[in-house]
Order: sequence, then structure tokens, then C-alpha cells
Amino acid sequence: MDIEITGGRIFYTFPFEVPVLGKFQITETLVVSWLVMLLITGLCIWLTHDLKVEKISRRQAVAELLVETANKFVIGNMGEKFRYMIPFVAALFATSVVSNLISLVGLRSPTADLSTEAAWAIVVFTMITAQKIKTNGFGGYMKGFTTPIPIMTPFNILSEIATPISMACRHFGNILSGVVINGLIYAALALASSKLFGLIPGIVGDVLSKIPFLDVGIPAIMSVYFDWFSGIMQAFIFCMLTVMYIANAAEE
Amino acid sequence: MQVQELVGIVPWTFVAQICNLFLQMYLIKRFLFKPVNEMLQKRRAMADAEIQDATKAKEEALAMKTEYEQNMQQAKAKASDIVTEAQKTASLQSEEILKSAAQEASAMKEKAESDIAQEKRKAVNEVKNEIGGMAMEIAGKVIEREIKEEDHAKLIDEFISNVGEAS
Repeated sequence: MDIEITGGRIFYTFPFEVPVLGKFQITETLVVSWLVMLLITGLCIWLTHDLKVEKISRRQAVAELLVETANKFVIGNMGEKFRYMIPFVAALFATSVVSNLISLVGLRSPTADLSTEAAWAIVVFTMITAQKIKTNGFGGYMKGFTTPIPIMTPFNILSEIATPISMACRHFGNILSGVVINGLIYAALALASSKLFGLIPGIVGDVLSKIPFLDVGIPAIMSVYFDWFSGIMQAFIFCMLTVMYIANAAEE
Repeated sequence: MQVQELVGIVPWTFVAQICNLFLQMYLIKRFLFKPVNEMLQKRRAMADAEIQDATKAKEEALAMKTEYEQNMQQAKAKASDIVTEAQKTASLQSEEILKSAAQEASAMKEKAESDIAQEKRKAVNEVKNEIGGMAMEIAGKVIEREIKEEDHAKLIDEFISNVGEAS
């Protein structure tokens, strides 16, 4: 029995070619991303419709809790002057979490595509660099590479580039490992199931061995770690790193 | 169906995901943070207003209390004034009454005295006349003759004045 673990499916490829970017493809990643965005936005609208100042509903309490948590997280880690970062960090976290958890309903996580994390990491990296230049000036930023001694310059550049790459790959790797291991476990359990029920002689065994009974239940236990824990953890780590790097960049 | 590579960056997806992230940021800002923050702001304003109202009410109550206390004090002072005044008036009046009573009494006494004196005089006069008559009768009987009326009266007067001096 062969199993194949591949990237997301490509639903449609536009025929025309754009230089550098290539042909535009509607991939599984994009479709599920849009679904995730719809979900988040729909949730926001549902949570915040009919807000009241007093005698709030449980729904409103959740909305307030989310907003307060985002405020506390960003302001607690970055300080009051980064208040404008709250929606960005919230969007990053929400998109990441929902993208990671959407694999629970059988869709392919957009975060299981390196393009997604690379996009986020580049955005964050741009913000970090912009913040550094804003804080120290362009000269100061360039000079920062030669500290503490000029010979360290290549390593400093390397470590600077390593930031977005490590951020992207850390998140991607965790989610991809979940996809891969889940794929392997499903396949292995299906094989084991077919062999186990194949032991029953006659037509009954033939029919039963076609049904992967062992696939029910056991993968759910793996899912607790690979989808729930890892998914929420990675989203949190990504946001935490974003916040920390930008806050550090703002320090003189 | 075509599939993309398991690990790899698709340029268009990369660009689209950047756009998606910012779009998502806008949507979250617009649909979650804006309404909730507005509502929180409103609630804060309301709480502030309530606190202000409470402070104001407290101040008003305090002012009312001071005013009330002042009024009470004034009323008390007024009451004690009235009482002292009344006491003063009463004592004055009683004095006056006593005085007038004493006056009346003395007037009555005087009147009684004068009455008594008059009565006395009257009685003396009556006695005088009586005695005169008696004397005349006695004298008439003694001398057995008629004395002229004039001499008669003269004699009586003399007699009486002697009697008066003697009494």
C-alpha cells in the first residue's frame, strides 16, 4: 500500500503568466484561508452585534474578554505606545489559531503551506526592521550590524535573516508534522485494520478488511496534541515573538 | 488534480496571504475592536457620569445638612430668645400686676379709711345732735322755761365744743 503526503491541491490555474510571480493558482491554501477569514469575521460580527452598556449578554462578555485579552497582551508586552499594534497581533493570532484548528473538520490548514507562514514572517520582519530604523535612524540601524566588533557583521546579518526564517519554519514545521503524522497514522491504522480483519476467513473477512475500523478513535488522541496543543501553542508563540521582537526593536 | 509541493513557497499564495493578513486585520479592527472599544468607552463615560452625579448628590446633601443644622441652630436660638423674652415679659407683668394690686389695695385702704373717718364724723355729728336734743330737753325740764331758739342753739354749740374738747 502506497501513501502519499503532498501539498495543498490546486483547484484552478489562470492561464496568463505574470513575471516573477508566475501563474496565479487558486490553491487549497487560499480557499481555506478565505474560509478562515469569513469564519473570523462572521464570529466578530456575531459577537459584537447588539452591544449594550449594561446588563450584557454572555456573547458580549466573550467579545469584551477577547478585546481585553488582546489589549492586555499587546500593551503588557510592548507598552502603551504600541496600542495601534493590537488589531494586527489579534488578526495574526486569530488567523493562525483558526487556520491550525480548521484541520479538525478535515480541511487542509492554510498554515500547512509554507507560503502562509513566510508571508506572515515577512510582514513581521518588515515591521521589526521599520521599528529598528525608526528608533535608531538608518545609520544607527546599519551600525547595529557591526556591534560589538566589526568582524561580527556577517553573523549579525545572518541572525537578522534567521529571524523571519525561524519564525516561519517553526510554525510551519509544527503544523506540517501534524499533517504528516496524522497521514501516516491513518494509513498505518487502515493497513493494520485491513490485515486484522483479513484474518477472518471467507467473504466476511474480505468486506470487513475494506473498512478501516481502527481509524476511528485513535487518531483523535493524536489530534489533541498535533491539532489542539500544537496549533494553539504555535499561534501563541508566533504572536509572542512578533510582539517581543518589535518591542525589543523599539528599545534604544 | 494537481497538487503543490509539500514544502515550498508559491509566490502568488505568498502575496495573497500578505493581503489576507492585512484584510483580516482591518476586518477584526472594524468588526471587533471598534464596536467593543466604543461600547467600553461609553460604559466608562457612564461610570464617570454616575460617579460625578454621586459626588454632586453627596455635596448637595452635605450642603443641605449644613443648612438644616444652621436652621436648627437658628430656630433653637430663636426659641430660647422667645423663652427669655416671655420670661422677661412675664416677670415684668407679674411685677406690674403686683404693683397695681398693691396700689389698688392701698387705694382701697385709703378709701376705707376715709369712709371710716366720714362715718366717724357722721356718727359724731349725730351724737352731737342727739346730745344737743337731750341737753335741751334736760335744760327745758330744769329751767322749765322756754328759751329762745337762737340762744338755745348757741348754748348747745358751746356745750358740744366743750364736750368735743373733753372727748
